[in-house]
Amino acid sequence: MTTINALAGERALPQARSFSGGTLAFARREFRDAVASRWFLLYTLAFTVLAVAVSFMSLSSVGTHGFAGFGRTTAGLLNLVMLIVPLMALTAGAGCIAGERERGTLLYLLAQPVSRTQVLLGKYVGLAAALVCSLCVGFGVSACVLAWRTGSVGFGAYAMLVCFTALLAMAMLSIGVLISVLSRRSSVATGVALFVWLTLVFLSDLGLMAGTLIFQLRVQEVFGLAILNPLQAFKMGVIVNMNASLDVLGPVGAYASQAFGDGLAFMLAATMLVWALVPLLAAVVLFARRGSA
Amino acid sequence: MSRCAYVSVCAVVLGCFPVGASRAGDPAKPMGEVEGLIAAADPGGTVVVPPGVYEGNLRITQPVILDGQGHAVLDGVGVGTVVEIRAPGVTVRGFTVRGTGENITVEPAAIRAIAGPVVIEDNTIEDALFGIDLRESPGSMVRNNLVHGKDLDPGRRGDGIRLWWSHGCVIEDNTVYGSRDLVFWYSENLRISRNRVSDSRYGLHFMYSHDTVLSGNDLARNSVGVYLMYSNRITLDGNTMRNNRGASGYGIGLKDCDDIVVANNALLANRVGVYLDNSPSSVGSTGLFESNTVVFNEIGLLATPITHDNVFTANILVENEEPAAAHGRGELTHNTFARDGVGNFWSDYAGFDRDGDGIGDLAYEPRSLFGAMLAREPNLRLFVHSPAQQAVEFTARALPELRPQATLVDPAPLVRPPNLKGSGAATTPLRTRAMAFGGLGLLLFAGATVGVFGRQAALGPAPRGDDR
Repeated sequence: MTTINALAGERALPQARSFSGGTLAFARREFRDAVASRWFLLYTLAFTVLAVAVSFMSLSSVGTHGFAGFGRTTAGLLNLVMLIVPLMALTAGAGCIAGERERGTLLYLLAQPVSRTQVLLGKYVGLAAALVCSLCVGFGVSACVLAWRTGSVGFGAYAMLVCFTALLAMAMLSIGVLISVLSRRSSVATGVALFVWLTLVFLSDLGLMAGTLIFQLRVQEVFGLAILNPLQAFKMGVIVNMNASLDVLGPVGAYASQAFGDGLAFMLAATMLVWALVPLLAAVVLFARRGSA
Repeated sequence: MSRCAYVSVCAVVLGCFPVGASRAGDPAKPMGEVEGLIAAADPGGTVVVPPGVYEGNLRITQPVILDGQGHAVLDGVGVGTVVEIRAPGVTVRGFTVRGTGENITVEPAAIRAIAGPVVIEDNTIEDALFGIDLRESPGSMVRNNLVHGKDLDPGRRGDGIRLWWSHGCVIEDNTVYGSRDLVFWYSENLRISRNRVSDSRYGLHFMYSHDTVLSGNDLARNSVGVYLMYSNRITLDGNTMRNNRGASGYGIGLKDCDDIVVANNALLANRVGVYLDNSPSSVGSTGLFESNTVVFNEIGLLATPITHDNVFTANILVENEEPAAAHGRGELTHNTFARDGVGNFWSDYAGFDRDGDGIGDLAYEPRSLFGAMLAREPNLRLFVHSPAQQAVEFTARALPELRPQATLVDPAPLVRPPNLKGSGAATTPLRTRAMAFGGLGLLLFAGATVGVFGRQAALGPAPRGDDR
């Protein structure tokens, strides 16, 4: 993404910055490049239009009562978010190091007077910021539509949805970055990222469904296995914030609400935070050890 | 709603203000003063009770119109029943009644009548184990009262309003919250209108009570909205049941009830919209469900597998997680889902209407694989609202041998919601617009993917100079 000329030229990185200063300079550069790129604009546009469409759909089914069950709009957006946001974040993360390495630009980046950790963190922060911006555009427009059509949105629940989505994007981005650090070619990185996406979105849930049916798993076991998947943690977190209870998710949800009570939301957020931090940490360590080749 | 708010505000203001005033100023008076006023009055005459707090228990043994004018408080100070009406022809109006005992074995109530007819209206009842209890008080009227139970565990509460062997009563415009049930035992020919029950166990609960009309009631956030048991010939018309999601969580539950008519009700966001347990149970009787709106429930219609002889017509079932299901495994095919060629509107109907008569050309036969799996293993409900659920349904559509039996057959599904209260017309164009938006979004999304991969393939591993 980054062009060498731009890096070296118009706004070269000032020498001998502090750690955070150098990281932020990289982050700003990455952010500007990401926001200007075509894939990013298209993803943003697609997400926005789909979010607006889901909002319209949900509103159209409300009919006379002007009444949105357990936030039907949010339920619709949930499905959308769980499909698109991981795909966006994983592919963006997967491209960030492997692409530079493949094009040979990584060496130039590393030649700057900053550490490898700063380069990686800078890229991560920049991309994360870009992703959050993209999500905000989508959620913002869709919120306007909701407000215009119904007069009021469940504001708190909606804001929590945005926050949880941002957390989800960061978790997926750090997995993507880890994949990127480990891959030599960007096509491999993208392929692995797509496979991870498929696994998190479909395969793990389907596997758990099959396991539940075959082994007659108890509620504790189903719940414990399910929250290992950051997407399930995301879904439950959003529903808890909206509903104060997981009873819409049947016996397992009722068990979780009873067993963990008010701590449930924190627990789910913490799960996602772990998914955001651990792969990133692993990526930093591996990137510092491995060469740029 | 505004009227409800107005009534409650009035009740609260009228109820609380003088309490505060008298607490600050005058000390409480003994209940004997009220008894003295009643004894001095002519039978059937009107007694206005001056403002103030009266402590103790009141027994009314002669016909009288007792009027607190919103400023008198009858306080049982935590002992027994506060007001007991032992004679017919008594009216209790405009009081705040509070502070019953808590011993459920003697069933202390704020106002109890053991003779009828009586009139109980415009009272505010708070901190009461049982609110209003009519025992063998036929022909009574309970109107415009506000009842709040004691703040106990749901299992230890009493009933907000209870009727026992009291035929021909009118129960209307009452507001009850934080109670157990509004329950009707062995009471027939009642009229129950415009009551609001929330945060209780069963909103309206019928036991062996026949021939009654329930209309315009609003039942929210209870364990169950309306539960009819062993009660026949009851009409539910124009009621709203919403967010009833307790352990049972039914909007309407029917157990062994014959000849029930359920029409024009709104069932919103309950765990189960309508639950049928062996209703109707007698040979030759039917249940009729017409023009109800069933929206956002986890299960729209749930029935035990033996349930039969119900007729469903012109109902709107929209966005229920499962439109209809049999309890455990089984089918609902012994019921009829169309009358005179008019079926129901199902928001997940995927057929078409080529001749444009408003009736779908293909029957509606829901065969949700995920629904079938749920019936087998309830724990799988964890996976609703996820892409994996969509994947399961898609697989079932793609591989017909995996598709389960249809749970029901609606031979004449409506392609657009019937125009209830002049509202449905606006729905369709909006939906079309939403579809158009969705299509555009998908197109763009595909474009984004092609953009990412297409460029990669074209550019290969060489460094790129321009990224714009």
